Amino acid sequence: MPETKEIVAVNDISFSVKRGERIAFIGPNGAGKSTTIKMLTGILFPTSGTVNILGFDPTKDRKKLAYQIGTVFGQRSQLLPNLPLTDSLEFFGVMYDMPEKEIKKRIVELVELFDLSSFIAQPVRKLSLGQRMRAEVAASLIHKPKIILLDEPTIGLDVVAKKSLRDLLLKINKEENTTIFLTSHDVGDIESLCDRTIVINHGVVIRDLPTQDLAKTFVYEKYIDLVALSNFNNFPELPEGIRYSSKDKNKVTVVVDINKINVQESLKKLLYLFEVEDIDVYNANLETVIRHIYERDSTRN
Amino acid sequence: MKELHFALYAIKKNIQSSAELRTSFLMNIVGMSINNTAFIILWGFFVKSVGVIGGWTVADIIGLQGFAALCFGIVFSAGAGIRKLAEYTASGAFDRFMLSPKNLLVRIATSSFGVSALGDIVFGIVCLGIYTFLIQATIQQILLIVLLVAISTMVFLSAAIVIYSTSFFFTDATSVTGSLFELFLTPSLFHGGAFQGAMRFIFTFAIPSLLIGALPVEIVRDISLGKLLLVSVLATFWFIVSINIFKRAVKRYESSNFMTFGN
Repeated sequence: MPETKEIVAVNDISFSVKRGERIAFIGPNGAGKSTTIKMLTGILFPTSGTVNILGFDPTKDRKKLAYQIGTVFGQRSQLLPNLPLTDSLEFFGVMYDMPEKEIKKRIVELVELFDLSSFIAQPVRKLSLGQRMRAEVAASLIHKPKIILLDEPTIGLDVVAKKSLRDLLLKINKEENTTIFLTSHDVGDIESLCDRTIVINHGVVIRDLPTQDLAKTFVYEKYIDLVALSNFNNFPELPEGIRYSSKDKNKVTVVVDINKINVQESLKKLLYLFEVEDIDVYNANLETVIRHIYERDSTRN
Repeated sequence: MKELHFALYAIKKNIQSSAELRTSFLMNIVGMSINNTAFIILWGFFVKSVGVIGGWTVADIIGLQGFAALCFGIVFSAGAGIRKLAEYTASGAFDRFMLSPKNLLVRIATSSFGVSALGDIVFGIVCLGIYTFLIQATIQQILLIVLLVAISTMVFLSAAIVIYSTSFFFTDATSVTGSLFELFLTPSLFHGGAFQGAMRFIFTFAIPSLLIGALPVEIVRDISLGKLLLVSVLATFWFIVSINIFKRAVKRYESSNFMTFGN
């Protein structure tokens, strides 16, 4: 018999979400994001604990809950591949027991909102990835769900398609007060779309805070740009806690570990080592901050 | 009513989707009819050269093929999604059915349309027509045939649900479900007279293969109300068991993250 090993995918996760919030649920690969979304939607049955969405327990009221939520899986299409997109939208309308008149009205609304008119009559299999993702989101909103759960909705999209999808999600959040619960590895999705971020790793929530506080809370490093007065001819060894990020005869960028040395002390030592015309001190970008959170947490385990 | 309305709508959309690929659609239907006809010709030669076994004539063989083909065709045309359960669970495509507000089994069954099974339906109707003519069926026997088509379809559907529910117990169950289905289907197409004693018991009570064609033919031939009652009770039993097995099996679903596409 093959040896089997039980793995805990999600452990002791607890959070609540208010109506109309836009949540980024992030974590490295294998952290438990998709598993959590699947438990929230009733796809997977948790071995213990309780889930309550809009007053429903997904394990018992899966069908009732389905009328209230919309889901989009970036790696998985729900549309009918061989038929025109309009058929898929109608299909979902019928599935949610909407009257024919209401389906038609909603399709018109969604076509306008998501700018689907140029490809609404095309078979889904012929759509580009960007068009398909817009169509997927539109289909998931046919029944005006109170919550939309999106698992990596921008995966594989180009920058234009990503921005378009984010704008649309913001629009439906604003216009229909739809709660957005999103997992993504794309920092742009988190920054431009979500007002709250929950960070998960090894199946445990490690942070839950406003997205704008994410960088502030997790700044362990400062970046300092030193612009040369003339040219930097040599690059001396740096004091402990400071390392080079990039070296150029015109500009040097260093990274300061603020747990080891503060900014004031760093500047003093750097000004002693380099003749500079200008200095710029700034925080790491969100992507770096998130990487640090993941790395820090993985070294702890 | 809402479930039925959606199921019929989903079947309609599936047919439209299949009809989009017209050549494949027609080739499938014609191909399956030819395949089945070849099969029945073989049985005809067999019975002619070996003679009557266990009271079974060529007409009975045609009736058996008719019942089996018709219930196979009905279940695996409109409800072809059941056959894809192993594929759905292995790829994680099953997720989308769990997100549907409709009855899970109906949603899965109507997620796909088996075009080639239309050939089986045509073939089944033709066979039963010939059978009715050959045995010079009375009105009572014709009504029995209609009733038994419904009962054997119920048994076939139940067996398919049980077999394909094993998809939830294995990582990739395609070959397992395929073998189990063959174990069920192959005996149901065999000469009914070949099943006697222990074999008849096993393929009636443990594996319901004989409920598909052999027993219905014997019921029509002998106008046996005792056997009709037995088949009806077993059909109801298998249907209840299949629904329960499916519900329990779904709770074992583990999902996965392969890329998938479709209805």
